[in-house]
Amino acid sequence: MLERTGVPTKENIESVTPLKERLSKGPVAIIECFQEIPCNPCYTSCKKGAIKELIDINDRPILDPEKCNGCGVCISNCPGLAIFVVDESYSETEALVKIPYEFVPLPKEGSFVTGLDREGKPVCRAKVEKVLNTKAQDRTPVVSLIVPKEFSMTVRFLSLNDHYSDNTIVCRCEEITLGEIREYIRRGYQSLEEIKRISRAGMGPCQGRTCSQLIMQELAAATGKRLSEIKMSAFRPPAVPIKLGQLLGGDDHE
Amino acid sequence: MRIEQHPIITFNKGRKVQFTFDGKVYEGYEGEPIAAALHDAGIRVLGHTHKLGRPRGFYCAIGNCSSCLMVVNGKPNVRVCVEKLKEGMAVETQIGRGDIK
Repeated sequence: MLERTGVPTKENIESVTPLKERLSKGPVAIIECFQEIPCNPCYTSCKKGAIKELIDINDRPILDPEKCNGCGVCISNCPGLAIFVVDESYSETEALVKIPYEFVPLPKEGSFVTGLDREGKPVCRAKVEKVLNTKAQDRTPVVSLIVPKEFSMTVRFLSLNDHYSDNTIVCRCEEITLGEIREYIRRGYQSLEEIKRISRAGMGPCQGRTCSQLIMQELAAATGKRLSEIKMSAFRPPAVPIKLGQLLGGDDHE
Repeated sequence: MRIEQHPIITFNKGRKVQFTFDGKVYEGYEGEPIAAALHDAGIRVLGHTHKLGRPRGFYCAIGNCSSCLMVVNGKPNVRVCVEKLKEGMAVETQIGRGDIK
């Protein structure tokens, strides 16, 4: 299977998956190297001694997850781009997956991309948390993706294709994207008022005249409610942008 | 581009006046929205956003969306889609939220 498709089998993956307890504790390297090839930079780069010494250079690397602190040095050192770091302690619902990415253009930090599995199939939306590209990475940049926890052992690549339109700007004044709105909804913000206060969407110069409806639609879709059941946020005067001077002493403005 | 014929609206054009946009002289009709004169002159970018620097242009055209905020005669945050053009106005591109001088 692996020889013909380049895609490791379920058994392959299971053999390198750390125990659940270890995964939930924090970042750990996942070495998806399944063929005996003469190669050892992962072993020589690991400062923690977490990769067992390769007696024969053809030996496959064996990781001790207890010694590994998930620093990620081995990611850029692996010429086969076969090493990843998974951090399931990132948040209650999300995991961080660090992926070697030797393509241009690099994704932008804070933007939304599509998480792909080992076969290149789209799996879920993912947010780019960080792009590490210093001298130490030696032209193998490491992209950190925030993915739903259940996909931490599935997402192994990314597509810049904005499959879910997450990078679409919803609030034009405060420049809040649809992806950010969806993120807040996932984190439990369930009303326009809450989303407005946490994100500033709707608090720019237009006062939500464009984005309120769009955010309400997104809330309705996420909660399964009808749009008419979603409450609008409070509208307070002034209804149009005015200067403080106009409130004080009037103005010649029509 | 300027709409000359419209099935419902009749245009009562004022006299031709000159104004400046970022220092260059342009012509428009007195009393029309500043944005209309700029649009006629082919100017599509009216300002840039404060966070990402994206260009913002003419959008709702009725004073709602604040997409067309510009600096007019030194005053920032003027909605040029509802502000009427006067002779000799100095219109400038606004970057971000505008500075009060």
